Amino acid sequence: MSVTDIDTVPDVDTAIPAAPKSLWRRLRRLPITLYLGGALVSIFVFVALLSFVWTPYPPNQLNMSNRLAPPGTPGFFLGTDRGGRDVMTELMLGARNSLYVSVVSTVVAMVVGSAIGLAVAGSNRYFQGPLTRLVDAGLALPGILTALVLAAKLGPGNTTATLAIIIWQIPVAARVTIGPARQVLALDFVEAAYGYGRRKPYILVRHVLQNISPLLIVLGSVMFAAAILIEAALAFLGVGVQPPTSSWGRFLNETQALLDAAPYLMFFPGLAIVFTALGFNLLGDGLRTVLDPQQSRSGLS
Amino acid sequence: MIRHTLRSLATLLFAALVGSIVVFVLVNMLGGDIVTVLLGKEAGPGDVQFMRDELGIDRPLVVQYLDWLRGVATGDLGTSYGMGYDIFDEIVRRLEPTLMITLGGLLVSIPLALLLGTYSATNAKKVRGGVIDVFSQVGVAIPAFWAGLLLVLVFAVRLGWLPTGGYVPLSEDPIETLRSIILPVMALSLGVTAVFTRYVRTAMIDVMNEDFMRAAMARGRTRRGAALFHGVRNASIPLVTVAALQFGQLIAGAVVVENVFVLPGIGRLIVTATLGREVVVVQSLALVIMLFILVLNFLVDIAYGFLDPRIRDKAESQ
Repeated sequence: MSVTDIDTVPDVDTAIPAAPKSLWRRLRRLPITLYLGGALVSIFVFVALLSFVWTPYPPNQLNMSNRLAPPGTPGFFLGTDRGGRDVMTELMLGARNSLYVSVVSTVVAMVVGSAIGLAVAGSNRYFQGPLTRLVDAGLALPGILTALVLAAKLGPGNTTATLAIIIWQIPVAARVTIGPARQVLALDFVEAAYGYGRRKPYILVRHVLQNISPLLIVLGSVMFAAAILIEAALAFLGVGVQPPTSSWGRFLNETQALLDAAPYLMFFPGLAIVFTALGFNLLGDGLRTVLDPQQSRSGLS
Repeated sequence: MIRHTLRSLATLLFAALVGSIVVFVLVNMLGGDIVTVLLGKEAGPGDVQFMRDELGIDRPLVVQYLDWLRGVATGDLGTSYGMGYDIFDEIVRRLEPTLMITLGGLLVSIPLALLLGTYSATNAKKVRGGVIDVFSQVGVAIPAFWAGLLLVLVFAVRLGWLPTGGYVPLSEDPIETLRSIILPVMALSLGVTAVFTRYVRTAMIDVMNEDFMRAAMARGRTRRGAALFHGVRNASIPLVTVAALQFGQLIAGAVVVENVFVLPGIGRLIVTATLGREVVVVQSLALVIMLFILVLNFLVDIAYGFLDPRIRDKAESQ
């Protein structure tokens, strides 16, 4: 920072929409979490997409003569597993699976959950209490439990994991929608919209949804992180994705038996999960600061 | 106070009822015929019918549901068809390790989170507050099973201080019990502490700006003293709302951690039963776990009635 840095002066721009500032200055004012999170998420998405067109080795290529090569072995940057499969290839394919499960589950849960949330917020006061309770009851059921219950009936697999994450996240999305939606419904402009004849469903979608959409974007980012962690946990337990599809969680499960012989194997998939989940969480945090300053000051209300 | 308790109890029962229906519906309405899964496609019609009768799945769903609830209440859930154990007895037998690590996790993570969150909030603008923020951000992102593996690698495989897994019942050797749950509790507490620290921090920052905090400091309390004596109690109230999710997290973590450390608890049973497609076992365990979460919530709710007179009064005035 230079001595002439104007940013250190308490700024009044927030109150008065001033002349357009340079893009650079505006970008620099964005929170660091947004950049850090954005970078981590971008790397994750890039690697996952790259795996469709290029991986260091073909998926699942066994190479028994190079079993358990430590990281740094020429040709195997991150080493190989007990079948001689290249760890980097496995991790890239694992990213693909994580991305797939988290995108599908988050999008579906978001749409259904916020629709339910809007409906509950817009329902009359006799229904609102019990319906909110119902959503709260749904929150008490942890995602892994739902997944296990589903897997017992449907069998383990990616579809089960995705479905379980959806069922778990719908109440979360609904619960987060209800409160703010009710706040918006109490505002004057909603009254005005009723005044010139708008119906409730129209108001809910056109006004309420639009006003709470920043919140939903933030929520989506956090839900992504949760989905990635659950996918990994399910795969680790053996009820998520099945071989031969690669997954970070399942890779970790397989390395558990090798803790003594090849402890380094467990580092990379774990770090991949941590950085990806961290990335989405930071991104959510950053977005919250940018899109919803009030919420970022009091995250609990 | 009595009204508040009754109200919480009603919520508990309602949630339990809804939860049991959700679990039952999930298991019984989705997917195909469980008998075909269990016996394979080649099974003869006689065998299929025998299995159907044994599982009682030809009866109306309402009857099946009520029968299952009765079984949970009276302790008669039949026997596992894969392993032959009495389902209810097995669940009871496996409660101890799970209770030990979840309660251990609560005992570690809640005080620790209150401490870290408060510290971070009172030092919000300083580096040492920031360090805790970084810890909580990273802690949230570390999966419990990976934390468990790392702990095993360091403390069991490398240093050899603690067992890599397994469980010694309290009745046999309490010291060994303690030793066997140290690593699982650590793995479990990490994520829960991290999440809860964030909530405590946010709540504390809100409370620190309240007038009564300034009043307390005007009366001569130090900033730290005000935070400890007035802040924590007031900040605790919004935390009840998020506690529900945290208990769920804790149990979910316990399921995973038990599998890392080979603890013979509920979590390991439910995974084994899931892989063996023992629907009744999984469904019953899910209900037991849910009840556990709901009872914890109920207890917290009651506790907060004592802690915050406003919650009591609100219940009384309605």
